[in-house]
Amino acid sequence: MPTLTLKFKDNVVGEYTLAPGKSVTIGRMEANDVVIENLAVSGHHAKIDSVGNGYLLTDLQSKNGSFVNSDPVNSHWLQHDDEILIGKHVLVFAYAEGEEQPAPASAPAGGLDQTMVMDTGQYRKMVEKIGKKPSDSTQDMAGEPTGVLSYLGGGEGEVVIDKKLFKIGKSASSDMIVSGLLVGQTSATISKRPNGYSLSYVEGIAKPKVNGSAVRESVMLKEFDVIDIGSTKLQFVLKS
Amino acid sequence: MIVVESAGITDVGRKRKSNEDSLFVDDDLGLYMVADGMGGHRAGEVASELVVETIQAYITQIHRNSSRAESETADSALSKEANHLLASIHLANKGVHQIAQSNDAYRGMGSTVSAAYLTDQTVIAANVGDSPIYLIHDSTIELLSVTHNVVTEQAAIDPDAADKLGEDVKFLLTRAMGVEESVRPDICEVPIFRDDVLVISSDGLSDLASPEEILDVVEEQSSATACQKLIEMANGRGGHDNVTVVVLRIKDTKKRGGITKLRTRVARRIIHFLEKYI
Repeated sequence: MPTLTLKFKDNVVGEYTLAPGKSVTIGRMEANDVVIENLAVSGHHAKIDSVGNGYLLTDLQSKNGSFVNSDPVNSHWLQHDDEILIGKHVLVFAYAEGEEQPAPASAPAGGLDQTMVMDTGQYRKMVEKIGKKPSDSTQDMAGEPTGVLSYLGGGEGEVVIDKKLFKIGKSASSDMIVSGLLVGQTSATISKRPNGYSLSYVEGIAKPKVNGSAVRESVMLKEFDVIDIGSTKLQFVLKS
Repeated sequence: MIVVESAGITDVGRKRKSNEDSLFVDDDLGLYMVADGMGGHRAGEVASELVVETIQAYITQIHRNSSRAESETADSALSKEANHLLASIHLANKGVHQIAQSNDAYRGMGSTVSAAYLTDQTVIAANVGDSPIYLIHDSTIELLSVTHNVVTEQAAIDPDAADKLGEDVKFLLTRAMGVEESVRPDICEVPIFRDDVLVISSDGLSDLASPEEILDVVEEQSSATACQKLIEMANGRGGHDNVTVVVLRIKDTKKRGGITKLRTRVARRIIHFLEKYI
């Protein structure tokens, strides 16, 4: 397993071992794996993650930056004998003798050439770093607003669009049942797409209307749009 | 029945020695897929192929045995067909994961998957990873898949932080098939109309061609020619990765709108009336 040797003015002041699947944090605060007590070092300064068969150094937007072999870096795939400068301290990254290491050519530098998966644990940490949590539930869009249909006429209260494909029509199997002579069994559907909600006309002589204009195929819904289907009048609202 | 004109091509590209992409096109099932495998020593090929075959086998089974009971894990927010597709993806994930765990040669392998599954009036688009599924409707192109890589997910939370990411981290996948025991696909179901076109590709194309360029090529050509042109476009720009493209054009939908339907209903009522009183 590769090691990190912490040096200050040519004196070795610490040695750390990196392991596949483990992350190492570097900073001034005690909670870090590698603690460097120096005011030039940020509380959480940088970290090293094991990604695939390589090791990735990421500067955690530290005040004074991280440098590898004198170049400032945001992130950098570590190679044998790389010198990481943090404040006035140097960390030397080195593989053990005879240890298998990713060849520089095959290292995923450039990223584009290699399809790789970021370890979920690392990703979560990265996201937590900026104070937000990635959504957890399977289908859903935790954190994302949910569409709600609020009755303006022909009913009372509101209905949450709780289906990916929400059906509105005369049919008893509709998610929202509406009446009206020329309204279709399924008059319209509302689908949740990656870029928002859309309403589509499905069948029936009377087409659904959004803000007064008949929908022939599909329209994206904006908040507060007014939808008319038969004798029912609805307003589309987003709720978090 | 939806009438579809479909085509799919996969190409090794200009830089790689092997092709780790897999594709599947079947108008009878109404199922179309692209999977982009990863992992050295042919493991990527194994992963993407296994994903595509498992999903295909599961959906075929459903079609043969349509009375199949609903799975207990069915998600009530999704239609029956969407639940089937989701179940097939979960099954494929487990398969790849198990083989990756139990065989040293395949350790760490994985794959993306992007699938489009047609029902009578809708398309269900589900994906894991960064292979895009585009829907072209009325000369506009829209991404139906959700890109599971670091830069896209970060941009959704905090665009400033996404800008600061290093080039080498941006394109790491945040989800993939076979990497963990369970997986979280993104899925959506949208109505489709006559002349709509769906394009599913691997990032070998989407890294090198913008959605607008894809729209231009697809609008002018038959599905087969469009596939060919898009592959040529990616290879002409370096072809740094395997390139796979599936194009399907909706030629007709079953939708019987307004008048015809009303007419049949009126006719049925008249017959009913006649039978009853005469």
